[in-house]
Amino acid sequence: MSPSPTTDAAQTDSRLAARALTLAYEDRPVVHELDLAVPDGQVTVIVGPNACGKSTTLRALGRLLKPRGGAVLLDGTELARIPTRRIAQSIGLLPQTPVAPEAITVSDLVARGRQPHQSWWQQWSDADERAVTDAMARTDVTALADRSVDELSGGQRQRVWIAMALAQETDLLLLDEPTTYLDIAHQVEVLDLVRQLASPAADGTRGRTVVTVLHDLNQAARYADHLVAMKEGRIVAEGRPGDVVTAGLVREVFGLEAVIVPDPVTGSPLVVPGAPWTPAPASSASVPTPGKAL
Amino acid sequence: MSSTPVRVRPSGYSVVKAGPRGRFLLHRRSSVVAAGLLVLLATVCVAYLCVGESFVAPGEVVKVLLGQPSSAELVVGTLRLPRMAVGLLVGAAFGIAGALIQTVARNPLASPDIIGISQGASALTVGAMTFGITSYAFLPYLSVIGGIAAAALVYVFAWRGGLHATRFVLIGIGFAVALRSVTTLFLTKGDYLVAQQAQIWMTGSLNGRGWPEAAPLAWTLLLLLPAVAWAARAQRTVAMDDDTATALGVRLGRVRLGLVALGVVLASVATGTAGPVDFVALLAPQIARRMTRTAQIPLVSSALLGAVIVVLGDLLARRLFSPTELPVGVLTAAVGAPYLIWLIIRGHRGRSGGTA
Repeated sequence: MSPSPTTDAAQTDSRLAARALTLAYEDRPVVHELDLAVPDGQVTVIVGPNACGKSTTLRALGRLLKPRGGAVLLDGTELARIPTRRIAQSIGLLPQTPVAPEAITVSDLVARGRQPHQSWWQQWSDADERAVTDAMARTDVTALADRSVDELSGGQRQRVWIAMALAQETDLLLLDEPTTYLDIAHQVEVLDLVRQLASPAADGTRGRTVVTVLHDLNQAARYADHLVAMKEGRIVAEGRPGDVVTAGLVREVFGLEAVIVPDPVTGSPLVVPGAPWTPAPASSASVPTPGKAL
Repeated sequence: MSSTPVRVRPSGYSVVKAGPRGRFLLHRRSSVVAAGLLVLLATVCVAYLCVGESFVAPGEVVKVLLGQPSSAELVVGTLRLPRMAVGLLVGAAFGIAGALIQTVARNPLASPDIIGISQGASALTVGAMTFGITSYAFLPYLSVIGGIAAAALVYVFAWRGGLHATRFVLIGIGFAVALRSVTTLFLTKGDYLVAQQAQIWMTGSLNGRGWPEAAPLAWTLLLLLPAVAWAARAQRTVAMDDDTATALGVRLGRVRLGLVALGVVLASVATGTAGPVDFVALLAPQIARRMTRTAQIPLVSSALLGAVIVVLGDLLARRLFSPTELPVGVLTAAVGAPYLIWLIIRGHRGRSGGTA
């Protein structure tokens, strides 16, 4: 049922790719020999059940995790061979729960996205100023410039962090579950912004390449150009959401019976859970006896 | 209706141009605070030179400083000035050391006298004293070695594929306790007179310090000045969480090691000169930061405040219970201990983490 993986990506260019990538925490392997080509100028969304290795893969793509085997390639060169500062000029990454220095102002935080473009004797250039101004306008946080990050709402704070990543002015942007802790309106707001980032500019220049991990399969199907479904450290299927998201895939990846209908707004596949959850016939030993509860 | 500014700069900062390519970010409030502290420090210094067993008029003090002949030449120029110079340098070194170590540990409690550096210096120095090495020509060097060795041990034990801030602090506290008991062991084994001498050294004192101690300390600080300038900038980058900093192209391991190493050397050199003057390295950076309200601990203000604390502390310690002259460490501890308790209580009441 996997619709011939990589055909979709093979047709487009790909600056960032994983080759036989194996990842592990301590001795516990998490991702096994994963191959992935991230299509340029598109939104790639990685989905999968908890602990399937999706965030781990994203961290490795952003060199936050060293591969146990295989490699992540940027323009054909192993990340491990590129100075981290040079990587930071091409790949931006927003972790799941970034921590701001205490009492930092919004504009100061966004300005720190310019770090890889600055030097000791050149701490602020016209390019820095333009990038920060643009990033803040684009995420609509300009009015918050002098506020302290501590006092912002969750949605505002997430936009500020995205502004910081944007100010870094990288072609590639990796976002690790950017919608966690946000209410649904803010989730949509952030994802709409992500979509905009990848769309071509008015002058025809290609948009940014975005790779993001999302928890919500429906949001993934709605916002992805390229959907990657993972299970137990392997890619089960990848391609356009319309091709990938099927009842069979949802059953295989999430173990959930579901009905797929077209999203009434966008026409993208919408996953509606089918049969309710029932406990599997368990061995009597694991059933707690009521009498012993106290 | 918010009119959006055409250009956004980090708020609170001004861009200072230097040469054709140099562009520096200057935090305006920090600059004002530093200027204010400089005035305060100058005032404290004049007071230090005036006040003592005999009072010298400020006019005479200025005369001595300008090298003009004065009747106060002996009291001011020979007795008070060198001792004050040591106090200034020791205070500044402790201030910067504390700022750097607190930054890397992301913890306001982490300072050289909490995480084992002072205790390492004490253990080796007191150990040497009990074995008969009492010459002040050797002891400062031994205490520098002791401090650096203790810090290296803490660093190695806290390292597990990366430096975890909390583990660094906890292991440091553990080492501090262990090393303190080693010192106590030396003290009980040693000769009574040596123990008394060691006790005074361990409190931190400027007694009997002068140009011979000030000169090497001044040279060390001067040599380390470029490193401090680097640190002032590098500090910004380690204030973020590890993932974000790495994503911004910061080689966290190296930067942290550099900052800690600089802090440890400064703290050890200061301890070697005056003994562990408690709480200066803890207090100065935290007060400085509250004054400047910056996202990272300001180095210049920490240095100035450290100098103010030690010089003013020594002045008070000399005069408060005169004719008895207390070691400056007694005074800083008396002020610092309540502050530490307040810091801990406040830390537990507020959010549990994230205090940098």
